[in-house]
Amino acid sequence: MSAHRIAAITRRLLQQFRHDRRTLALLFVAPLVILSLLGYLIRGGASAPGVGIANEDQGPVGATLASALEKSTKIHTVIINPADGETKLKDGSLVAYIVFPPDFSQLVIQQQVIAPEIHLEGSQPGTQAPVLQALQDALTSFAAASQAAVKFQPNVSYLYGGPNLDQLDYFGAAFIGLILFFLVFVVTIVSFLRERSQGTLERLMASPLRRGEIVVGYMIGFTILALVQAVEVLVFSLYVLKVHNQGNVLLIFGFEVLMALSAVNLGIFLSMFARTEFQAVQFIPLVIVPQVLLSGILFPVSTEPTPLQYISDVLPLTYAVNGLRDVMLKGADLTWPALQLDAGVVAGFCLLLIFAGIGTLRRRIA
Amino acid sequence: MSEAFAVDVDNVVKSFGTLRALDGITLRVRQGEIYGLLGPNGSGKTTLIRAIVGLVAPDSGNVSVLGHRMPDLNILSSVGYMTQAAALYPDLSVEENLRFFAAISGADGNVTEVLKTVELEARRKSVVSTLSGGMRQRCSLACALVHHPRLLLLDEPTVGVDPQLRVQFWEHFRDMAAAGTTILVSSHVMDEAERCQRLGLIRFGKLLGEGSPAEIRAAAGTNNLEEAFLKLSGRASE
Repeated sequence: MSAHRIAAITRRLLQQFRHDRRTLALLFVAPLVILSLLGYLIRGGASAPGVGIANEDQGPVGATLASALEKSTKIHTVIINPADGETKLKDGSLVAYIVFPPDFSQLVIQQQVIAPEIHLEGSQPGTQAPVLQALQDALTSFAAASQAAVKFQPNVSYLYGGPNLDQLDYFGAAFIGLILFFLVFVVTIVSFLRERSQGTLERLMASPLRRGEIVVGYMIGFTILALVQAVEVLVFSLYVLKVHNQGNVLLIFGFEVLMALSAVNLGIFLSMFARTEFQAVQFIPLVIVPQVLLSGILFPVSTEPTPLQYISDVLPLTYAVNGLRDVMLKGADLTWPALQLDAGVVAGFCLLLIFAGIGTLRRRIA
Repeated sequence: MSEAFAVDVDNVVKSFGTLRALDGITLRVRQGEIYGLLGPNGSGKTTLIRAIVGLVAPDSGNVSVLGHRMPDLNILSSVGYMTQAAALYPDLSVEENLRFFAAISGADGNVTEVLKTVELEARRKSVVSTLSGGMRQRCSLACALVHHPRLLLLDEPTVGVDPQLRVQFWEHFRDMAAAGTTILVSSHVMDEAERCQRLGLIRFGKLLGEGSPAEIRAAAGTNNLEEAFLKLSGRASE
């Protein structure tokens, strides 16, 4: 081992980075951006999930608990009519509602049993815990104040899914789409840049090929690959991992087609902003990671700090993930307005990216 | 527009930032001739060829190819373009590359015939990344020929090619010209220039002189083409 030769290698590496300012910037800026985003997402005054309260109790206990829940910072309570509860769960304005039935106080006094009805929406990870926690806190303070030994026996019901859903069911639905989107994006952007670096793009542009023909050809080729992958991922998720699915498999597949098309065109479009394959790979932390954090895969969009919700609302992945979850966890079909919106937005993004890809193709040559 | 000229470049200017790559160049290539574009590195040869094929949009001036004002995608099916570096798909076989380039030019492409021309028949199933540099260059030439273009644009086709292969290349060019194909070839190798019917000397994006090798030599008052070229360039930079 020669220290001199080793030093030569080290020095050369650092010199290369000095000439590639962009990589250098990425190396030092991207971690701060991603960590700030994560920090803001989790600690930045996250919006508390909306919980409906319907107090029909003829005694005093329901009102006591309701006011305790109202003070909780973990949830945002709304007084509702129990008949509206299910509608509000369906339209997404509430993640849960709690009903204190007419005989609620009577049961507490006679049997020392606290038995509220808890209706959970059930398709969003991470929204149930705050509801149950807030209720637990309210009960603990009630029990301490009344010095009664009471048993907590809630009647929990789920609008979608149920107690059998685990984290994999929530994340599986989203990841089916995410894996496809991510891999197709990377493969496309790298192939397109290779087309340029090996000089073949120049040949293509000096042939009668139209720009649109190149983009559509790429799109079909990679989409075929992506669809084979989609079938594999789907079969593995549904039959090997047994991820919960309540909807039509063809709808899941349809969403995957749209995501594959978006990913291909995003790859073609962004390849214009990179000179080398190395720089293309750098788009992953810039383009993919924020989308993963903000598209509701890990944290429901409704619980994000409000400014981030605006960003989430313009990310295509948000709609794709939402659509996939609606189909798989709620059994949504195309008659649902929510699913029409998701599918429509994803398809719209797809079209937009196709034109963006075609529009930027000419400039990258000259 | 008449089709008297295969290539008609009229007073073309193209700048990249402060660099004037083409500085009002006018040049005409006749049907069926081998026209050599001669000039040192950075003189504007590649930019001129890219402007002819429509990859570079001139700031001013006109380019016509086979009677069609460029850019015109349709006429490109009659043009073969060989770039400086062998632009091929390294993970496809020789034959797959050829079929691809034939297909995008809208021709069936007689692959076997072209492979015979460049003597790559034995390697038709070989993946390009396994070929030697010279073979890649031949494959690249084959890709420019496969759709039977009427105009062939060759940007330094013999760079990195051994002398024996270079002789073969020039034999193909002569055969093709004899069969009616117009060839515009750029080079900075003077012995190649001798093989052209007409030469254009280009420097600083301008045409310094034009004519047959004999005419160029006579104009410079020397019987060595290399000297002639240096003399003519010297005059221009004064």
